[in-house]
Amino acid sequence: MFVIEVYDVNEKRVAKVLKISRKYLYWVQNSVLEGEISEANYKKLKMELKRIINTSEDSVIFYTFRTTRYSQRESIGIVKGGESNIY
Amino acid sequence: MKKSIYILNDGELKRESNTLCLIMEDGKKFIPVEDVSELHIFGELNINKRLLEFLTEKEIILHFYNHYNYYVGSYYPREHYNSGYMIVKQAEHYLAPELRIKIARAFVTGAVKNIRQVLVYYKNRGKNLSETLEYIDQLAPAVDKVNSIEELMAIEGNIRERYYGAFDVIIGDPDFVFNERSRRPPQNQLNALISFGNTLLYTTTLSEIYRTHLDPRIGFLHTSNFRRFSLNLDVAEIFKPIIVDRLIFNLTGKRMIKKNHFQKKLGGIILNESGRALFIKEYEDKIATTIQHRELGRHVSYRRLIRMELYKLEKHLIGEKEYEPFLARW
Repeated sequence: MFVIEVYDVNEKRVAKVLKISRKYLYWVQNSVLEGEISEANYKKLKMELKRIINTSEDSVIFYTFRTTRYSQRESIGIVKGGESNIY
Repeated sequence: MKKSIYILNDGELKRESNTLCLIMEDGKKFIPVEDVSELHIFGELNINKRLLEFLTEKEIILHFYNHYNYYVGSYYPREHYNSGYMIVKQAEHYLAPELRIKIARAFVTGAVKNIRQVLVYYKNRGKNLSETLEYIDQLAPAVDKVNSIEELMAIEGNIRERYYGAFDVIIGDPDFVFNERSRRPPQNQLNALISFGNTLLYTTTLSEIYRTHLDPRIGFLHTSNFRRFSLNLDVAEIFKPIIVDRLIFNLTGKRMIKKNHFQKKLGGIILNESGRALFIKEYEDKIATTIQHRELGRHVSYRRLIRMELYKLEKHLIGEKEYEPFLARW
């Protein structure tokens, strides 16, 4: 499945959330990551994040798509990051 | 499915915050480690042991290529599906001549039938290939009769030579003429494409072998020796016509690859940076393409087909089900 993750967390935990998310998803821009992910890894990612965020203060949102066939991605301005397999 | 990552640039690859970090001239790029199945390294990359340990833990293979796009070698992490039983079975089938030729014959049969299928496809599109097809049909039955690996390889070689000769008829582009098969280094553009495509397919197959119990060092058609992996060469034979050759016809037919994608080097002609990047992208798209699988009744990608071929081989070796090569029907 394809997932878009956005987060808004206390400054103290921003780096921690980013660090965990980067193991599974491609960084797109500040507080946004995306990528193809397996069910199991999706669960692992959520579990790891739950462990460090403060649920009364922080917010992490996942948008999941079964396929990306019916969605489009359009960007304006510079491209900061995103998925790629050729570097 | 996890991705293959290709690194064409120079830089440093290291473990950082428990994932992979690629440091290039234009900054740091993080690669999600959980989404990587293998790394293909073309650029000048600095790595350290800490990274190799991390990759071993994550079961990621590294394939290295040199400056001329030749395969150099792989970092093949400690096998995670280590099975003494399978190695013994593989060796048993390698050592007994009648068992070995049975498997080798299956590889050649698969390769020849798939070559035929490609030719039939273009014949139906009005290319003059009747002669080549006749020649192959005449030679093909001999595959079932031969009793030595050498004879088998000779027949395969003859068929493949004739088949490559037909490339000019299929492509029909004066920029991409075949002349003759030349390797190390390739002498013209078309040979460069064939060599590079085959190299990629060999490593892809090797990566898939890593995910099974099979030992890549024991091949059946290609003789095992002291250096090379050979099982991946065997299995790749079946898929060369339907993956690599079709990709080449596609690229030349659509005029996507041009003369300026090549450069002269080392007394031969090889793909340059932009040509390499283009070819890799198209190759990746190709092996990710799914087809309807008749027996399974669902869609599978070409990459998965390679893996399934290996599972079939495993079943043959343990005596569960006779191995039959994959045959393209389109």
